[in-house]
Amino acid sequence: MTQPTLTDHIAYACLTQPCRDGLSDQACIRWVNPDLSVADLTYAHFEGQSNRLAHVLKNLGVQPADVVSVFLPRSPLLLSAFFAALKNLALSCVLFSTLGEEALLDRLGSSQARVIITKHSLLPKLLAIRPQLPALQHILLVDGPADLPPAVLALDPLLSAAPNTFDYPHQVDPETPAFLQYTSGSTGKPKGALHVHGALKDMCSSFTDIMLPTPRDLFWCTADPAWITGLVYGIIAPLAARIPQLQFSGGYRAAHWMQLIADHRVTIWYTAPTALRMLMQEPPETFTQPDLSSLQRIYSVGEPLNPEIFAWGQKTFHRDIYDTWFQSETGSMMITNHPGMPVKPGSMGLPRHGVEVHICDEELQPVPTGRQGHLCLKKGWGSMFRTYYQRPEAYREKFSRDLYITGDLARRDEDGYVWYVSRADDVINTGGHLVGPFEVESALLELPEVADVAVIGAADPLLHQKIVAFLVLPQGLAWSRQLELKCRLHVANHVSTTAIPAEFRQVDRIPKNQSGKILRRVLKALYEGQDPGDLSTME
Amino acid sequence: MDIKERLTSVFHQVFANDTIQLTETMTADDVEGWDSFSHINLIIAVELEFNIEFSQREVMTFENVGALLSCIQDHLALQGRGDSVRSLL
Repeated sequence: MTQPTLTDHIAYACLTQPCRDGLSDQACIRWVNPDLSVADLTYAHFEGQSNRLAHVLKNLGVQPADVVSVFLPRSPLLLSAFFAALKNLALSCVLFSTLGEEALLDRLGSSQARVIITKHSLLPKLLAIRPQLPALQHILLVDGPADLPPAVLALDPLLSAAPNTFDYPHQVDPETPAFLQYTSGSTGKPKGALHVHGALKDMCSSFTDIMLPTPRDLFWCTADPAWITGLVYGIIAPLAARIPQLQFSGGYRAAHWMQLIADHRVTIWYTAPTALRMLMQEPPETFTQPDLSSLQRIYSVGEPLNPEIFAWGQKTFHRDIYDTWFQSETGSMMITNHPGMPVKPGSMGLPRHGVEVHICDEELQPVPTGRQGHLCLKKGWGSMFRTYYQRPEAYREKFSRDLYITGDLARRDEDGYVWYVSRADDVINTGGHLVGPFEVESALLELPEVADVAVIGAADPLLHQKIVAFLVLPQGLAWSRQLELKCRLHVANHVSTTAIPAEFRQVDRIPKNQSGKILRRVLKALYEGQDPGDLSTME
Repeated sequence: MDIKERLTSVFHQVFANDTIQLTETMTADDVEGWDSFSHINLIIAVELEFNIEFSQREVMTFENVGALLSCIQDHLALQGRGDSVRSLL
């Protein structure tokens, strides 16, 4: 039996190898805190911190293939925690710190996470669901008081006692699991896309081929590391490619963002259309007062990039904005615009080298050029997800023959450019976050004031799509702002702030078919003032 | 309860965290979960608590808790003037 060709372990390529190559003291990340104070962090910093944390995890009994969840806001320790899990050959699962209790329970429950690393202010959410997580053995707190509840450990003393070096295999079988990336579907619970160490090559080559970084650049990816973009292009690819990068742990503020670009001379900027649309609302001096001349290239991901933003980018930054497209499942950029190719504003661009795109009809047969259909990719690229964790049937449903069905509708023009049309399913893309209507509906139905509910995505000039909830209230109950606040807070605390409906509408009943399935197209049409079409299947 | 105490209680409710201690310089970066989505929850909760209504312009200009407090005080002062005028009629 032949041995598989080994590949670099992701942590080795990102941290250990640069240190071995004499770059230990080189700053790999310029970390900017919310108050704009700065720390230049070296490869040695992350290597040492992740080694100590890897020891802590090992001493707690973490085994290869166990899941270690990281439930922290963006911070240097989040990065070290990610690599520490990998160094134990465990699966890392970085979760948005904005997740509410139920969303957290879904993800920790389905991944059967054994350890979670979090902070004191997020602990109440975890303790509330702790009894429903039998696989969860340890909660590690990066901060907080000395008197902790049972089974909650303070990380600091454990880290202080741990050695600065850690033995782990630097080369691994390419199929060795590395991390889980949770993504929402149109029905059912969120699914954890599993990625392997062998994905590293695609992640790096897509970064270097499309963004053309050099060691003299300063790269800034604004995405949260709990998002596939933030993990792959905010952590893994720049570290492995040894490209200096900036990380900002503050939130969106136009003046701060522009100041960061000007003060630190950011050259390559990877952000999202919603952020760009928010910037478009700012007065012109926001962009003329700071010296933004360092910016060489701007890239966008997460939602379609409207031609209006592209034109605004040219006028404001004197640069093209290159749209890119990929998903949690694809692991790296699949369809892109980049320097050296003519950009067609509004288009997703061209398939990256080695990526085969097919636009197919309902039977998954190719459609003629210019006709819209299901956006499919020929399977087999290196960074392709390997399964949905513990959900093999859901994984199989994403493939037909040798095609991965992305869930997006698109068309392709005579020059081969791909144009996004919409989602093929009910998943809502709001500000770049994919939200499954089922999660929001389930949360709202828990309230006694909600008798029935349906959620749709409606076009929004800022967020691409906004969440609209249609509510049926029990007889005699009137809609009020107090009830709206209760609904909003319930979704925020149980699902996520990104899942809060932007609009609530009271209706007499929810349109459903005879098997009880919500007819979202009817609600959408009614919301948009369109003809709802064939209603013969309605119950 | 004074205005700051009432506002603190609103923050506890909106961010489901009763350990938050408000300071005037506190910003969204200092409070877990205070993002552009939950900001709207905060605004609605404050309006309901104090029975006031912020303008769109005001909502966009809250740089920190101090600015929010000051805006609430302005609204309440205006209401107070209205009340005193009404009481004279």
